[in-house]
Amino acid sequence: MNVLIIEDEEALAHELEIFLTNHNYVTDVCYNGRSASEKIGTSLYDFILIDLGLPDYDGLDLLKEAKKNNPDAACIILTARAEVYDRVRGLDLGADDYLPKPFSLLELQSRMQAIMRRKFGLKQSIVELGDFLINLTDRVITCGDTAVSSITKKEFDLIAYLILHKNRTLTRTQLSEHIWGSVINDDYDSNYIDAHVKNIRKKLNVYAPPDWLETVRGLGYKVKMNT
Amino acid sequence: MKLKTKLTLFNAISKLVIVVLFVLLVPVLIKNISRSYVDNNLIKQKNKFLQIVKTRGIKNYIPDGETYGSYYLPLKEEYLTIENDTVPGHFADNIKNERRLVERDTIEYRILSHTFKLNNKQYLLEIGKSIATLDETSTPLQNIAFGVLVIMILLTILADLFYTNRVLRPLGLIIKTKLIGQKFPKFGSYKEVKTSTSDFQYLDISIHQMIETIEAAFQKEREFISNASHELMTPISILQSKIENMFEREDIVDELKVRLLEMQKILNRLKSITKTLLLISQIENEQFLKEDKISISELLQEVNDEISVRLADKNLTFDILIPQDVVLVNVNKFLIFNLFFNLVNNAIKYNKVDGEIVITTEHENGNLIVNITDSGIGISTEDMPFIFNRFKKFRQSMQQDSFGLGLPIVKSIATFHHIKIEVDSVKDLGSNFRLIFPAEVIE
Repeated sequence: MNVLIIEDEEALAHELEIFLTNHNYVTDVCYNGRSASEKIGTSLYDFILIDLGLPDYDGLDLLKEAKKNNPDAACIILTARAEVYDRVRGLDLGADDYLPKPFSLLELQSRMQAIMRRKFGLKQSIVELGDFLINLTDRVITCGDTAVSSITKKEFDLIAYLILHKNRTLTRTQLSEHIWGSVINDDYDSNYIDAHVKNIRKKLNVYAPPDWLETVRGLGYKVKMNT
Repeated sequence: MKLKTKLTLFNAISKLVIVVLFVLLVPVLIKNISRSYVDNNLIKQKNKFLQIVKTRGIKNYIPDGETYGSYYLPLKEEYLTIENDTVPGHFADNIKNERRLVERDTIEYRILSHTFKLNNKQYLLEIGKSIATLDETSTPLQNIAFGVLVIMILLTILADLFYTNRVLRPLGLIIKTKLIGQKFPKFGSYKEVKTSTSDFQYLDISIHQMIETIEAAFQKEREFISNASHELMTPISILQSKIENMFEREDIVDELKVRLLEMQKILNRLKSITKTLLLISQIENEQFLKEDKISISELLQEVNDEISVRLADKNLTFDILIPQDVVLVNVNKFLIFNLFFNLVNNAIKYNKVDGEIVITTEHENGNLIVNITDSGIGISTEDMPFIFNRFKKFRQSMQQDSFGLGLPIVKSIATFHHIKIEVDSVKDLGSNFRLIFPAEVIE
């Protein structure tokens, strides 16, 4: 997968590059709009990450160029301008997603995977974990022939996010940012993730022990999966 | 009391005092005037009589052989008597009121008595005028004077009323349009109040200048918060990415990872504060559309889904007693969701274990009222005025992980939707937040 990173903050661009390279993407980086425009015109990408706040270029113009020269690329807008108007315009102009800064790299990765699933029309995404089958598309968990119906929407979100980032320790902060990120409230630390995980284990344990859901002492949680 | 009322009252009272004074004084005055007029008249008559007696002698008045002569006008309103004064050395020259019996009628007269000598004889002259005739002329005089006064007073009252009304109208207009009609901190454009009174002109322009100053300060504060939070987003983003990338490195030992995690937590706190401030400034700059239609009970169910784990943590009962058909229109769903989320979240945070939270609705004067009642620790009276202030933290909430922006978000979302909030609380028993939704957002 080829990714073009257009970001004028070099430090951030660098971190994006490291992260995506670690996850087997091939990356190109542009620090300004002019060079990005050239790259868009000459190379083909699967993903284009566009920062709207470029000093020399309107990010939305780059988006238009990308739609013209790279019609198959998925465009994700990254911006510190979280104005509603920008979001609407960006999505109107054909952006596939919109991530306001500051965002978690894990969140970026999960958005990219979601777009990929959409684009390549993967009908069913089913994961086998211990005795459980987890259908990420239909959001159902089954154990043998029985469906596990007691899992709530939030709990499923949590499991799905851990599965998406399998074999990686996710911190409570990362998990709570994912499942409560859209809510603006004045809690800066949430230990409610522990309560959620406890509930998930209790509910799944009725059917089979969910050994794959591991607690990493002092750090967070992870889903262990053989690849 | 309004200035106009005060002036009118003063006006009426002062006029009343004048009327009362007049009513009390006029009879006395008129009596005195007519008395001195009568007295003058009597003296003139006396002088005339003495003149006549001097030239023609007294015989005309006292027939020969008589010692006494009296002359009455037919209706006895005036008389003149002259007699031989037999008391030696008697002397009189005065005017006084006395009763006289005249043909069986007792009549009160104003009487001039005068003694004089003529041909070695002493005479006593009396000239009298009936008092009744005096009163007869003074009463209509009094009435006329009184009538004229009343008419004049009424005229001046009307004139005063008209004038104060006219002269105070600009003041009323200034108060109505510049002070009462203004919604803080949103002011309309400046419209000059027309007046020729320089004090009012000064007042008008001063109020306007003050409003402009306040508005400019507000605008600056909003811009500053908006810019500052925007500017903070990129550095926070860089730090967050760096920490996340480091956390994934295999070669970092767990002890360092724990410290990275602490950094992540603290960064997250900074991020939450910045995001919240940005949200508040966006709401205050009216960057949200109000086009959504939502059922309150469904929305609260969504809040419940988000928050159920926190309710369970304290074993709280959460009752949403709202009919399905209570629907809001022309609102922003994201904001209204956050409004309820924060209120319910507070009701959880400051609740006791095994406590309860109840949400009810009622209709009142075309408004919709949503009550959020909790059995929590309550708010003390001295803290109450400050609960909507940014970054205000109270001693009792110190153990909570909050930075004091929950209620300020609630406040700005409510203001944006013209929702009024009333808070009732009893310390240690619980709080009740009353949201009053205006008719314009109720379906």
